[in-house]
Formats: sequence, C-alpha cells, structure tokens
Amino acid sequence: MTVYEPNNLPQELLNIPQGEFERANNDWRSDERFTTEPIGFYKDAFRRLCSNRMSMISMWAILIIIVLAIVVPNVTGYGYTEQNVKQKNLPSKVPLLEQIGIFDGTRVLTNIKKSSIEDPKRYPEGCIINVIREYKAGKQTVVDVKVDYYKYCGVADGEYHWMGTDYLGRDIMTRLFRGTRISLMIAALSVITNLIIGIIYGSIAGYYGGRIDMFLTHLAEVLDGLPYIVVTILFMLWLGSGMLSIVLALTVTGWIGTARLTRAQFYRFKRREYVLAARTLGVPDRKLIFRHILPNTVGPLITRAMIAVPGAIFSESFLAYIGLGIKPPQPSIGILLSEGQKVLLQYPNQTFFPALLISILMIAFNMLSNGLRDAMDPSRRGEE
Amino acid sequence: MFKYVLGRIGAMLLTLFLVMTLSFWVIRLMPMTIFENPEVSPEVQRRLEDRMHLHEPMIVQYYYFMKGIVTKGDFGTSVKIRPGLQVFDIIKERIPPTMLLNFFSLLISIPLRILSGTIAALKRNTWIDNVISFLIVIFISVPSFVFASLMQYVFAYAWPIFPTLYNAQAPTIWAAFRSMLLPIIALSLNPIATIARYLRGELIETLSSEYMLLARTKGLTRQEATWRHAFRNSLVPIANTIIPLITGIMGGSLVIEKIFAVPGEGGLLVDSILGGDHFLTVALLIFYSMISLVTIFVVDVSYGIIDPRIRIGGTK
Amino acid sequence: MSEISVNTPQTPQAEKVLEVRDLTINFRAYGGLVQAVRGVNFDLHRGETLAIVGESGSGKSVSIKTIMGILPNNAIIESGEILYDGMDLTKVDEAKMHEIRGHRIGLVFQDPLSALNPIMKVGKQIMEVLTRRGMSRQDAYQRALELMRDVGIPEAEKRIEQYPFQFSGGMRQRIVIAIALAGDPEILICDEPTTALDVTVQAKILELINQIKEERNLSVLFITHDLGVVAQMADRIAVMYAGRIVEMGTAEEIFFDPRHPYTWALLSSMPDLETYERLEAIPGTPPNMIHPPKGDAFAARNRYALKIDFKREPPMFRITETHMAATWLLHPSAPKVDMPEGLAARIARMKEAAKNVG
Repeated sequence: MTVYEPNNLPQELLNIPQGEFERANNDWRSDERFTTEPIGFYKDAFRRLCSNRMSMISMWAILIIIVLAIVVPNVTGYGYTEQNVKQKNLPSKVPLLEQIGIFDGTRVLTNIKKSSIEDPKRYPEGCIINVIREYKAGKQTVVDVKVDYYKYCGVADGEYHWMGTDYLGRDIMTRLFRGTRISLMIAALSVITNLIIGIIYGSIAGYYGGRIDMFLTHLAEVLDGLPYIVVTILFMLWLGSGMLSIVLALTVTGWIGTARLTRAQFYRFKRREYVLAARTLGVPDRKLIFRHILPNTVGPLITRAMIAVPGAIFSESFLAYIGLGIKPPQPSIGILLSEGQKVLLQYPNQTFFPALLISILMIAFNMLSNGLRDAMDPSRRGEE
Repeated sequence: MFKYVLGRIGAMLLTLFLVMTLSFWVIRLMPMTIFENPEVSPEVQRRLEDRMHLHEPMIVQYYYFMKGIVTKGDFGTSVKIRPGLQVFDIIKERIPPTMLLNFFSLLISIPLRILSGTIAALKRNTWIDNVISFLIVIFISVPSFVFASLMQYVFAYAWPIFPTLYNAQAPTIWAAFRSMLLPIIALSLNPIATIARYLRGELIETLSSEYMLLARTKGLTRQEATWRHAFRNSLVPIANTIIPLITGIMGGSLVIEKIFAVPGEGGLLVDSILGGDHFLTVALLIFYSMISLVTIFVVDVSYGIIDPRIRIGGTK
Repeated sequence: MSEISVNTPQTPQAEKVLEVRDLTINFRAYGGLVQAVRGVNFDLHRGETLAIVGESGSGKSVSIKTIMGILPNNAIIESGEILYDGMDLTKVDEAKMHEIRGHRIGLVFQDPLSALNPIMKVGKQIMEVLTRRGMSRQDAYQRALELMRDVGIPEAEKRIEQYPFQFSGGMRQRIVIAIALAGDPEILICDEPTTALDVTVQAKILELINQIKEERNLSVLFITHDLGVVAQMADRIAVMYAGRIVEMGTAEEIFFDPRHPYTWALLSSMPDLETYERLEAIPGTPPNMIHPPKGDAFAARNRYALKIDFKREPPMFRITETHMAATWLLHPSAPKVDMPEGLAARIARMKEAAKNVG
C-alpha cells in the first residue's frame, strides 16, 4: 500500500485540476431515495417459487390432475357406477397406442383346452391373435393364446376402455378420475377444516395467554398424545363410512399442529412494538388479531396446509384399504387401489393406474410444499 | 431426571386411560347390537348380554369395562372372527409375526437412515446429495402399500425371486426370512426417507452453526468437529421424529400385513374391522396405543438422557 | 522521490506479529460478486490492542475469518497475504492451519450462546483444546479449572460439570474466552465480544480481556461497530468502511484528531453523557458491494464530499507517523474543511476530561 505525504505528493496527484476539489453539492440531510422498486414478501416468495423448476413442474402436474378429475368422468361416456357383467376385467385399450402394440386390449390366456378355441361360441371369430405355446397336460392338449380380449368379450368395435374395466365391468378411467375428485375433495375439506379450527384455537391461546393458554395448550397436548391411527379408526367406526366421516375423522387431531404453529406465531408477534402501539391507540382485540398479528402467520400456514394435503390423501386411501373408506359404489383412489390389490397378479392394470396417479399426486404435493417452504423462508430472502 | 420420568409416565397413563374411555364410548354409541345372531335363542342372547352387563346404565358398564381391563386384562370375547375366544388370547398368538416384521424393519432401516442422511448432508449440493434427496422425496411421497403392490408384482410374480406371500410355516429360517423380506422393505422405505431427510436438514444446520466454527478454531479438524459436535447434536431432534414414525410403521403394517398375508396384528385388525368384531377391534386399538405410548415413553426418556437441557430441567 | 512506499506507520521497536497485506476477498452471491474486502492493510504489533471499527458489512468480520481460515465456501481470496510467523495464512494448508488455530491464534465469538455446543459440558469443551494437544485427561481437567478461575468464574469445580444453558450470558462469554486461551495463543481475536451481552456485563468482559492481555502479553485484534467500546481498550484503531480502511491511528489520534468524514460521522453518532446536542445519524445506507460506487465509497453519504470524490478513490494520506486517512480533504488543493462544530466541542470536552484524569 502506498501512503502519501501531503506535502510531498507525486506530480500526478498535484496535477489534478483545482476545480475537482470544489465542494460537491452534497449538503442535504435527507436519506437517499430508494431507486429500486420495493418487493413485498409474498411477491418475493412467489418469484422464488417460480424460479424453482421442480416446484413449477409439480404445480402444473397438480393442476392437470385437477382438470382431469373435473373433466374426464364427464367425457368418457361411461358412468362411474355403470356395470357391464359381460365386460369384466377388460385390459386397457387406447386409440392410436393400440397400433404400436401397447394398450391394445390383448391378453394372454393360459391353460386352455386346444379343442375349445375352435368353438366360435366361446371364442368369437377373429379374437384369437396367435397361439403362443402348445403343450400336453395329462391327456389334453393345452395352449396359451393371445386374444383380443375386447372381441373375446363381445365388446363393440370402437369402444375403448383406456384403463380397462374392473370386476363389475365398470370403466376404470371414469372411476379413477371420479375417485381423484373425491380424494382431492376430502383432502381439501379436511385441510381447510383443520386450518380453521387450528387458527381459531391457536389464536385464542396465543393472544390471551395466561391461564386460558395453559388450559388450551394442555388440552391439545393430551389430544395429541392419542395415536393418530387409533383415533381415526375409532372415529370412522363411530361415524360410519362416507366422505364427511372421513373429513371429520381426519380433523379430530389434525388441527393441533396448526393451532400450535399459530400460537407460537402469536407469541412471537404480539409483543412487537407495532402491536403494542396499535393497542394503546385503542384498536379492539378482534382487529389486532386479524389485522396485525395473523397476517404474519400466513406464510407458515400455507406451507403447512400444502404439506397436509398429501397426508390427507394418504390417510383416505389407507382407510379405504382397511375397509373404512368411502361408501361404495363411490370410488376413491384408495378404494380403487384396494380393489385392484385383490386381483393384482391377474390384472395388474387395475392397480397400476391408481398407483401411478396417487404417486404422482403425492410427489407433486410434496415437491410443491418443499418449494413453498424454501420460498417462504425469510432467512433465504434474496437468495437464488 | 426422576421428576421428568415421572411426568412422562403420568402423561402415558393419562393418554392410555383416554384411549380406553374413548374406545368404550365409541363402541357403545355405535348404532348396532353387539350380538346379532338369529340362531341364538332370545334367552341365551339375554343371558349373554347379562354377562356383559349390557342392561346396566352406561356408566356402570364403563366401570366394568375398565375394571376388567385393569384387573384381569379382560378385553371381552370375540363375537365374529373367532367367536367365544378371549380377545386377549387371539391378540397374543398374533404377536410374533408383527414383532418380527417391525423388528427387522427397524434393524435394516436405522443404519440406512443415518448413513443416507449424513452422506447427503456432508456431500451437500453434489450429485450424491441430489440422488439421495430425489430418492427421499419418492420414498416419502409414494405410499408404502403402493410400493408393496409394486414389489409383489415385480419381484414375486413377474420375476419370481421372492415368495408372493408371507410363509409362517417355512421349513428353514432362511425361507421364512425370504418370505418376510418384501414386506420388511415395503415397511422400511418411508421411515428411512423421513429420517434421512430430517437428519440431512439438521446436520446442515449444525454444520453451519457457530459452535462448529468455534470447534474448528479450537484446532479440531473438520472431521473431528463434525463427528464430535455436529453429528451428536443433530441426532437429538431426530428422537422427536421417531414417535410419529413408530405409529406410522404400525399404520403401514396394517395394510402391508394384509397385502402379504402376514398373520399378524395388522391383518387381524383389518379383518376385525371388516367383520364388525368390535370387541376385537377395540382391544387391538388399545394394544396399538399401548405400543405407541411405550415407544413415546422410551423416546422421551432417551431424549432426556441425550439432551442435558431436558434432563436438568433448564428452560431452553 | 516524492513517493514513500511504507507500510503502516510504526514505531521502530514495535514487533509485528501479524501483517495483513492488500487483502481482497469476494463472495459469490446471487447477482454477482460481493466485494467484501477491497485491499486491506494493517499490522498487529506485539502486546498491543488493535481495534477495527466499522458498521456491519464493512468487511471487518470477513477479514478476521480469513485470518482464522474459516471463511465460508462461497468466499474467494482474490489477492493479498496474511503474514504470520513467516507463513502466509492465505496459502497455508488445512493441516497446518489446525496447528495455528486455537494454539497460536484464539478467537472470541460474538454470541457466546450459539458459540458453545449446547449439549456438551463446558469443561469438556475447554478440555477438547488441551487433549488434542496431547495433554492427559487429568492434566487437561486441572488446566481447564485453572483457566476457568483465570477468566473469573466462581466455583469452577462445580461449574466445570455444567452445561452452557446453566450459565448467564456474561459467564458464557468467559467460557468462550477460556476456550480461546486454552491453547495458549499469542494473538487473541475478539469478534464483537460484548455485542450480545447486557450493558452491565459488557464492561466486565472488556476489563477481563484487558487483564488477560496484560498478564499474558497477548496481541489483541478487537472487532467492533461501537467506538465507545474501543475507547477503553484500543492502543490503535482502524476505521473500516465498505471493505477498506479509511482511517488508522492511535486511539488518541482517532478520538481527538479524526480526519476522515466517516470517522467524524461515527464519532458524532456516538452517545455520551455530556452531549446535549442532537446525535447525528449518518444519512443513507452503506453502498451495494456488488457494484461499489465509483470514487470514494462514502461520498454519497458524505456532507463534505468534493467533486473528485465521485470520480476517483482517494489514496491514503499520512498525517503523522502513526496516523493516516484516505480522504481527498487531505490533499493540498482541497478546501479547508473543519469537522462538525458539535463534534469539535465534544472532543474539546473529552480532552479536558482526559487531562483531568491524567
């Protein structure tokens, strides 16, 4: 580093014109104006969320599934309860894709007496595509054949079941998206109910504090100690199957997390100066809560709600699996899964599609809520 | 510490009491008769009902119900699944498979959890971390029964290297273990992922903590500091996540036992619910609650042992 | 030869323990490189306390993290060197750095609560430094007890078995100091050691640092944003702004004869008991260090800025053997600008007070 003696400066520094040393007109006492546009917290969070590719993909996946759940059951041309005993357990058949040999509605039938395939009553003409194997079983000659299952069952040409049909001949695609609609509704309803109860409960505990808080917190703690599955099953037993029962059963202890979070946020913010200032100005409790304190809680609550959605979807299918789901013949993803499981080894397509859908849905919701959490984390503001 | 343990025991008993009470009222408030068997004559029916105090006021019934459980371990008799048998005995004989399943699941998953979480945190933002994090999201999101179905179809049917169903009468231990492997894996994936994710987050946070810096200014190498300060500290909050996991495994094992036909408590519970055998259901639910409460208790106490702030009763 | 290439001013007998030369450090961040430290030079002499004063973000913490070799991963040492005992600490490998950290240079953190491992007994945290150097557990235990007594912890025998949460803030900071002293360092770096503490405790901790410095003939590098803290501690003071040292001198020179407008502003904003005038806040905010302004970084907030301040960065001008400042006001062509009147009055009062005490 170079240090200059003021009375012994190099020529270069002495050559600076005198005019440069005039006072700059800098005598203001005001703070500088911000030239950049202020960005609100949520706008900032949203921007960060949008820059997260996985979150965006997930959001689109969820939106598409929601749209499909609304649209598909109305356009397949089948009702979700419409049975057809003759068209049981059809494999999936999709237009266009059938040309390239997948989802073409064929199935391999094994162990069939060779003599019977010549019988046009049992095997309508043209339904047999080829014989894969021929072998002896005892005295009989037996064959494995690949058949066009649609023709085999006498389904009219041009009729397609994209995901096949179930054991009652109901169109699985119609039922799957109808079921998705119901599963999503259950998830949304239970999450919203939990939020409302949790926010009210947590706000009261957090705002009033003292004895009320102590009582409410202990009560919630005791409830929270109850094993989740046990409580849910007990309430389902009591309420009986049905959509509202599931929502209620998921609410029994589901709201506690939200209440705890809200209460904690209240404790963080209610002592802040701006709240005290508002209070000294005579702002009523209700307004203090809704105007000054609750808005701070919105971010964490949104994240929480998002995380709760896949949980609710899971719980619904879990209940369906153990026979406490929705009332048949209404479908739900869980019902379809548990019905599919029964014939998994024979007709894997009946499990495959609901399994795929629930997996995509769960992954998407988890990814999105991860992204939301990161985007809302104030400590990460300005990052990325 | 003593006070802390005592408090936890108190909380455990209170919850158990609550579960039993809840169970009783739910069962009795259900719009149904306990016995509905046209072959039994009305007189026998009456006598049976008398024996179960069904004609007394509710509160008295409640008293008998609680007394039976507390003094004799009497949860009533099964009415549909195994009529006439003591519920307690039915549960007892189903314990081994469930225990085995859960035990093995814990055994293989604990090292995997810790390993994957630690590696992901230490190799943060490298491809290893990305792969692990991706797997974590998949395993957390996709329900265990979907994995169970998938594995059953792929590894037991399409490519049969494992038996389709659990085999309780397997001739060798190896065969028995082989038939258990698929359900064990299906049961373990979610807990592995959950803990790994949590551990990763905790480790990353402690790694950037000031006391890690201090540890390094003391002259500890990065590895020493990580091991002595970060690792142990991030294990502390993990204890908290174990509680929901245990109950989660129990929930998962309900369905998975059903899928793989494991003759354990899970399958029994499903059967009893489907069959409407409410005494059995309630007893099973209480049994499940007890297991989960004992786990919570053990976790809480070990938590106290690891974390001096709890043990000594400080505030923070 | 009009240009004298000397490093920082020094009295001939002062021995340098640490020399920081042209240190430049950037951080990779969203939006570009943050120029956290832009060519910082200073020496630490044996047995002295050098205080580095500056507001947050001025680069003082980054500088000392570099000395300790604990920079975060996104930091890049662009250029410069840190000379210690014949080594350049910016180039020393990790293995050698372990020897230096703790053993030769100790660090006291800002927040003792987060600096101590919450689930490890304090005794063990002190002993860790000692056992690492091959001391037996018993010896380390005894030494830890001694250290705890040295830093003024009563009932050390009992306290050594306790956990950080059982200590008060001041006591925790004493533990952190004990840890820093455990390796018997010759340099003690204090990173805002009193900021997180109550005012009443602050003075005691400062006193303690002074005392151990005397006892052990330590060289202390003291980082703070609070000039008031510095007054009773420092032999020399370096004022940092926007990643550069803008003025450096003995404590007396900085307090009684400040030359840089930023130092004026700092002194004016410092509360004291006798000042009845309004405290002067420094207008504006520190510049964005991703795009540092052209010329003097302080110009935009400077009431006394000259036109050239906006065009060219001022060089360091020497004022006395030990005192220098980087401001164009010291250029012979500059108009004569006096420090603010309030400040002048205040300094006069302080001088008076100092005379009375002395």
